[in-house]
Amino acid sequence: METPIYFWGVILWMIAWGVLGSVALNRRYMARDLDTSNVSFAGAMSGAALGPVGVGYLWLRTPALTPRLTTVLGILAVVLIAAAFAFADPQNNCVANGRFVASQISNGLIIGIIYGFMALGLTLIFSILGVVSFAHGEFYMIGGMLVYYITVIWVPGLNPMLGVLGACAIAFVVGAVFERLMLTPMYRGKVDRPVEYGILATFGLAFTLQYFVQAMHGASPVKVQRYVDFPRIRWPENADPHWISASRGNLTLFDTISISNPRFTAAITCIVVLLALLYLLHRTWTGKALRAVSQDRDAAAIAGIDPNRMNMLAFALGGMIAALAGALLVQAFSWLPQVGAIPAMRSFVIVVLGGLGSLPGAFVGGILVGLVEAAGTGCLPDAQKAASYIPAYGMIVLTLTLLLRPSGLCGRRFASGAHGQGG
Amino acid sequence: MTQGHAWRVLLGSAGALGLMAGAALAQDCPIKIGALAPLSAPGTVVGGEAMRDAMMIAEADINAAGGVLGCDIEVVIGDSEGLPERAVAVMERLITQDGVVAVGGGYHSSVGVASKDVADARGIPVVFAETWNDTITGDKQKYIFRIAPLSSWASATIWQFALTLPGIEKVAILTENTDYGIPASEETARGLATGDVESVIFSVDIGTQDYAGIVQRIIAEDPDMIITLVTGEAAYNFTQQAADAGIGPLDIPFVTGQDALESGAYWTNVPDGQYAFVQRIGVPESEFTDKGRAFAAAYKEMTGKSDVESYAMEAYDSIAILVQAIAEAGSTDGDAIVAALENIEHEGTLGTIYFPYGSAKDPSEDGRGDEWWHQWPDPALTMIQYQEEGQSSTDAAIVFPDAYKTAEPVLVNE
Amino acid sequence: MKQVPALLGLMLVAFFAAFPLVYTGANYDYVMHVLITGFFYAILASSWSMLAGYAGQFSFGHMAFMGIGAYGTALFCHYFVIATEPTGICTEFPFFDNWLVIKNAIGVTSSTLEQDCLQQAMDAWEGSVRVTPMPVWLGIVLGTIAGGVAGLLVGLLVLRLRAAYLALFTLGFSEIVKAVISAEIDITRGQAGLELPALFDSGVTILGTDFSRTDKIPPYYVMFGLLLLCLGILTWLARSRFGLFVRALREDQEAAAALGVNTTRYKVFVFTITTAMAAAAGAVQAHYVQIVTPNLLFLLQMSLVVAMAVIGGVENFVAAAIGAIFLQVLLETLRTSFTIGGIEVDMTVWRLVFFGVLLMVTLRFFRNGLIAPVIVWFGRIGVAEETVAKRKAGGTA
Repeated sequence: METPIYFWGVILWMIAWGVLGSVALNRRYMARDLDTSNVSFAGAMSGAALGPVGVGYLWLRTPALTPRLTTVLGILAVVLIAAAFAFADPQNNCVANGRFVASQISNGLIIGIIYGFMALGLTLIFSILGVVSFAHGEFYMIGGMLVYYITVIWVPGLNPMLGVLGACAIAFVVGAVFERLMLTPMYRGKVDRPVEYGILATFGLAFTLQYFVQAMHGASPVKVQRYVDFPRIRWPENADPHWISASRGNLTLFDTISISNPRFTAAITCIVVLLALLYLLHRTWTGKALRAVSQDRDAAAIAGIDPNRMNMLAFALGGMIAALAGALLVQAFSWLPQVGAIPAMRSFVIVVLGGLGSLPGAFVGGILVGLVEAAGTGCLPDAQKAASYIPAYGMIVLTLTLLLRPSGLCGRRFASGAHGQGG
Repeated sequence: MTQGHAWRVLLGSAGALGLMAGAALAQDCPIKIGALAPLSAPGTVVGGEAMRDAMMIAEADINAAGGVLGCDIEVVIGDSEGLPERAVAVMERLITQDGVVAVGGGYHSSVGVASKDVADARGIPVVFAETWNDTITGDKQKYIFRIAPLSSWASATIWQFALTLPGIEKVAILTENTDYGIPASEETARGLATGDVESVIFSVDIGTQDYAGIVQRIIAEDPDMIITLVTGEAAYNFTQQAADAGIGPLDIPFVTGQDALESGAYWTNVPDGQYAFVQRIGVPESEFTDKGRAFAAAYKEMTGKSDVESYAMEAYDSIAILVQAIAEAGSTDGDAIVAALENIEHEGTLGTIYFPYGSAKDPSEDGRGDEWWHQWPDPALTMIQYQEEGQSSTDAAIVFPDAYKTAEPVLVNE
Repeated sequence: MKQVPALLGLMLVAFFAAFPLVYTGANYDYVMHVLITGFFYAILASSWSMLAGYAGQFSFGHMAFMGIGAYGTALFCHYFVIATEPTGICTEFPFFDNWLVIKNAIGVTSSTLEQDCLQQAMDAWEGSVRVTPMPVWLGIVLGTIAGGVAGLLVGLLVLRLRAAYLALFTLGFSEIVKAVISAEIDITRGQAGLELPALFDSGVTILGTDFSRTDKIPPYYVMFGLLLLCLGILTWLARSRFGLFVRALREDQEAAAALGVNTTRYKVFVFTITTAMAAAAGAVQAHYVQIVTPNLLFLLQMSLVVAMAVIGGVENFVAAAIGAIFLQVLLETLRTSFTIGGIEVDMTVWRLVFFGVLLMVTLRFFRNGLIAPVIVWFGRIGVAEETVAKRKAGGTA
């Protein structure tokens, strides 16, 4: 960075006004007996984006903090940070190299879709069972491992599609069986503190699954060949550069953005399955029953839905979603028994950012986290450290979310409420 | 399962019984030799398992040849997990619990650095097989020997090779943030600078799976060559993802991580890995000693692998040279073994192993640095290239240095 | 007969206090090492069970605070030394009659690369200047304080959150600490690890016996003493009025708040104390092992602590401590592979699978853990059985 002082100066200014805005406006709204649920976030953003002007305006007028207002302020704050960065480090690839920026954004977007999809499973489990599954990363891991075993070891040459389906089926069964064996006491009132019990039980499952796979498989990395080859495409035929050009393992847009085949197919599959899942949740009886249970267990039970069966279904579905993410990514990454840890952490960040229990939130959160990580890896001036900090970028997002808006972007308000206490 | 393996397991169980009885009996036979190898994560398990298998073969070979001092030997393998703090405990256990008289093996540098002090304090000789960090011998400890090359020599091979290639002006180095990767990357960058080649270093955590962001940064740097100083599956991931993005071994000169020597795993994980360069220790298979050839055959049969990795050969030699030293010393006393090692000439799988500098002759007498202490000076360091898809690493072409060259490097960007 | 558990506890303490003096196996050092590590985990498991079981705060960042303690003392001992002469090249301040020298951070090097400024100065001095490292105890104290302060800050930030969020955040905090330690290689030497002086680097003399720096008896008693100190503080915490509040918090936060208990303040207090304990354990362990690496924060380590506490009995910190020692010994002895019917079972990995299964079974069927019910059972033995209990207890000692 050439003139870091500008960047850090702006950041300090933003933090100072953000903290002030957050704290002062909280008091102000409280004193005026207004809705304070959103004021920490909006106050911080107004301070960060507009400094004294923003804080002063909100202080004097105390307008209703609509989502639109907070979103505009939030975007303004991000733009301000970006501008300060561009001003302080004009030579940086993130500023000077448009092609680089385009490919980083597309990378972040693609991987964000996949991780958002994976986080969807976590949030589904949470919204029905009120439990954060600490075994989510391990489901992701067994998904990939199973595809390898099915298509390479057990039935060599099997169509990878069947391998993926098989992996999902097995993960579904593992999830269902675990839920029956371990989680049932939670909602029969046999456990004093069901949330903690659920955390520990899934934690135990994670531990067991990871070391079981390690004991069975050993630790040599495996990988599956890509499932489909792209056809050779040059479109439009005589444009230069081609808008879309594809070779077996790669897709290039406008000659600048290059997306590798495994990631592209994984992201597309995730979107398709997501749509199928939305259909399931909103158009079928089972889906409606699931949503009913997530909103009110007792009322759902009165309406003739067996909440316990829904619990099993939700846990198995959630695990299967993670396994599917793994099954799709095993063609992109080398697979080992401990690959689950990092995506699990990322899923946690995503669901908190999106709001625990919110399905659209998980997806939006996934894309945001993907973009933040891409920005962090791409823009940090120190090349030596940029990649080492990958796990930390998401955590900064998590910390900010918990500080400013614990219910997440689209969350229901139970971060510090009573949800999950009764089960 | 091979016989040697089953045998070890049985003996291991006997050891457990000994522990339960509260105290291990001090026995004369078999003579126990300890070995360090990473057999669980976060260590590089692929490397550890190869070393374990090689040392099992060493044990079987030596016992088939009548053992030493009238005893069979038993190789007791401690799982270092690639963790220095674990390594300290394992070394402690090998010495005080299992009663080993000497220790071989060792893969991760940090493990070697941490555990050598324990062995040295207890007067147990150690011959490290694959720990490259210069300080391991640089501390000039009485009981510490090494047959692996120094990290600075290994780096030198890579940068000297890079300087022989035409049209290289900028090199991107991807390194792991460990005590193997960091010094190696700095030495490589420094070496490249002597040839007016610019370099930019990216360091990563070994657990990283997704390299897309870093690959884009490397593309933006527009390098003429990529050097990977990363171990384990991280190197596979990076190489394949670079290939996906169009700067893989098929696109520019690309030195991949050393684990590519396990060619079965390499081709599974890096299907687009043709034309990658890999550093290899030891002469080409055509120039193997008789012992090397016999070991390679036994190793391939035992493991089902198509080639023998250099660290497996080093591990084999680390056990065999200790046994020869015990035989020459006529005792299992640590000081006697050290004295024998300082004068040894061992015909190993890698060549004739000897340690020219030690208590009799300090490295400074020849103007050498401290790191030459108890260090085998002639490990053959070569660069190989996978010129055919699916090739095994022992069949791959040796492209550097000239003394061992079997083919000219294929330069994909020309 | 309320004294039975106390009596048994005393006997257990006496057993561990006397053990190093009476045990004479050939594997003495190894057994001592296993027990010292066992005490280390016992401190972590018991302080975690106070946090999770008593106060109901499920933190998965306990190992991060342990790591802060360990790195606190490691960095202090690594970068600060006292020299009788100024080096002229390092950052240094006069310190009474000597010089406080702060080494420059050079990261990981090999002999062919540059050495740090103190090394350069010492090479130039050729032994003519006396260089004294910082006292180890000061490092441990500073490490403990660092861990406690970090715990205070994190506590202030997150303790108003519900269980699930707290667990997620603390897990993430642990990852951040690990990422920073791994990435800031210049300062922390990353994966290479920072080396530390031993607890008693120049040996120590206790009751007329000289112990060298590699002897196990001094670190054994230091770690054991620390465990007893922590258990003492935890007992005091649990029995005091304060302990009542803490339990009230766990049972019903709203009711406790309604009764006028300042819930957040007490939660933060418990969090700070227990994290400081973890930091102290980490600092002592770091000096005992003499090297710290970011892998201290490997998730498996946290899993082990949680599993130990749960299997021992998460709502009873004494049971958690005993469970930790017991499981540590078990995990070490299970390292040996065996063969059943021609199938080799490689115990280095399978033992962890069994461990996980044991954790789940305990959770599902023995919610109070495996050790805690035993303690309760001894406590319930009636007066009539007093003699039986005494004889029994006498037999096991």
